[in-house]
Amino acid sequence: MGFFTDDLFQLVWNGLFVGSFYALVALGYSMVYGIIKLLNFAHGDIYMLGAFIAFVLLGSTIGLIGEASLPVLLLVLLITMILTGGIGMFVERVAYRPLRGSPRLAVLITAVGVSFALEYGIRQIFGPSPEVFPFRLSGGSFDVLGGRVSVTQIVLMVIAALLMWVLQLYVMRSREGRAMRAIALDPQASLLMGVNVNRVISRTFFIGSALAGAAGVMAGAYYGSIDFLMGFTIGLKAFTAAVIGGIGNLYGAMLGGLVLGLLESFGTFVLGGEWRDVFTFACLILFLSIRPTGILGARVAERM
Amino acid sequence: MSFTPNRRRPLAPAAALAAAAALLLAGCSGGIAGGDEGGDGDASGPIKLGMLAPFSGSESAFGDYMKNGAQMAVDEINEDGGVDGRELELVVEDDACDATASVAAANKLVAAGVEASVGGYCSGATLPVLPIFDEAGVPMVIPAANSNALVEAGLDTVFLINGTGTQQAQATLEYALKVGATRVAVLNDNTDYSKDLADSFVEQAEEEGTIEIVLDQSVTPGEKDYSANVKNVIGSTPDFVVWTGYYQEGALITRQLIDAGYAGPILVGDGSVDKKFAEIAGAGYTENVVGTFTQTPDMLKGAEEWIASYEEAFGEAPGPYSTQSYDAVRVVAEAMKNAGSTETDAVVEGLRGLDGFPVFSGPLTFTDEGTLSSGGFAIVSISEDGTFVLKDDLQD
Repeated sequence: MGFFTDDLFQLVWNGLFVGSFYALVALGYSMVYGIIKLLNFAHGDIYMLGAFIAFVLLGSTIGLIGEASLPVLLLVLLITMILTGGIGMFVERVAYRPLRGSPRLAVLITAVGVSFALEYGIRQIFGPSPEVFPFRLSGGSFDVLGGRVSVTQIVLMVIAALLMWVLQLYVMRSREGRAMRAIALDPQASLLMGVNVNRVISRTFFIGSALAGAAGVMAGAYYGSIDFLMGFTIGLKAFTAAVIGGIGNLYGAMLGGLVLGLLESFGTFVLGGEWRDVFTFACLILFLSIRPTGILGARVAERM
Repeated sequence: MSFTPNRRRPLAPAAALAAAAALLLAGCSGGIAGGDEGGDGDASGPIKLGMLAPFSGSESAFGDYMKNGAQMAVDEINEDGGVDGRELELVVEDDACDATASVAAANKLVAAGVEASVGGYCSGATLPVLPIFDEAGVPMVIPAANSNALVEAGLDTVFLINGTGTQQAQATLEYALKVGATRVAVLNDNTDYSKDLADSFVEQAEEEGTIEIVLDQSVTPGEKDYSANVKNVIGSTPDFVVWTGYYQEGALITRQLIDAGYAGPILVGDGSVDKKFAEIAGAGYTENVVGTFTQTPDMLKGAEEWIASYEEAFGEAPGPYSTQSYDAVRVVAEAMKNAGSTETDAVVEGLRGLDGFPVFSGPLTFTDEGTLSSGGFAIVSISEDGTFVLKDDLQD
């Protein structure tokens, strides 16, 4: 096995591509945790819902106009984001808000319950077999530095990067973003300062879920098959990414996603497929024992 | 112990546990019916053949295919005067592809006085009933279930007329050699079924010596992105790729392999032979995909007449394992005729003595382990409409 020389670019590219999906999903985990200290285990299933909503929307669009294209997909992406965002808000309103004052364990178990409810609800509607996405992004590919890069991958990464860029603008530059950061620091004081805490939390759920839904649509369009359990694995991975980056930290989630993608890519290459997860999670354990706050979770005052 | 279901879906751990529990139970309560029914059936009434097949649950589609295939053979043999002047009678019970249900159903069959068993679809539901039939003196000719665990049970009353994992691996190797493969990459999905098949293939390939195994790795099932694994495959520069897992991952890996620049043949195991494979992989990605699969009636040469009479009798087309179930009955009847008796030992001797008995999968002779001595698997490829069709029956 030649070491990295010819393969370096390909390994990095594969890692970054998968990592951008992890990052998109990790953002929702991280933001929600930053604000109400809840690990929303149903978050991965919002990604799955995004894929299924887009599946239905695209199916009916293609039924109407016969042909799907990138603009249509972008429109579907936007609608799906709004819908999954709404579902995220709804879940928070129904399942989490009544438990706001409860012990954290109760909320955690509720989140696990929501996760199962979403997964098996979809299973009842669509059945256990994977569904085939009605539209796939396909384009040419070209060689860069001995690695293969496809146009589709670039398009999806640009979309992911744009979404993240808009998000950080919003959190860092807008009034609502400031309110979010304030609540993350001190919910009590924010309440006294006249911040509408409930509305801000709702909005956080909306944004996080919309991003996860977007990732789900992109996964469907790129990989082509969707199933009711697709959110489970990526949910765990995104949570890991959020922790690596420093949970509650916006940039940390983005960075953590990319780092996790790279770890997996290099781990598979060096040790083989069977050892990938062993390697990745051994790195995680090692890293957290040295630096429990994650890469960027350093100073609490800077959170969110 | 590996429970390798002979079907498209992995056996759930719960089912495996249930099967293990049922095994224990069966061990404690063996011969619940008490009767040594198999040995001393009165020599004038009909000869009862028992069949366990799934008629409810996830695999229920296969129950009718099996029942009808067996019934057809029973009717034909009875028209020809039966076995030693006695008619055959098929007694069917539902095993629901579930270990607990199958143990209860097997005890029912033993109580009904069956002389032989011609059923068994899910390996996980078939394994726990072996000792029940064995103790009751009921020889088993199993048409569909094919886990190596059934062979490893080591009972001399058990015969399999579907190919086993070892034989599937053999067919894989045979085809790889046929197309001149020299460097083969093997991927499995870490489930029992898939790993067994991969290990068996690698072992046989190394023994044969012509082929170099350039990669033998597992992937994590249930994911969407296999680019890292694909990277390893491409890096090992194979001229032939073998995938032994299920279609969900197999189709994604196929697509990603071809996107990454692989252009050689990809051979998939029977867990990937499903219409969904082509849908998920997408148009233009399946030209080089072939699979190993047990022959279905529509693939068999000279089966047109048989299919027509099946349709006439049951009002629907035959499906997977119709032919094997039909053959199971014929094999048992032939053994009984040759033995001139329905005594357990005599029938087992009769089964062992079969030499080149013509069945759908070719001439049948059992090995000492009670498995087929040849064949059982054919090579299929994906047609225009995404279905798998016969490409090479490996019969030459």
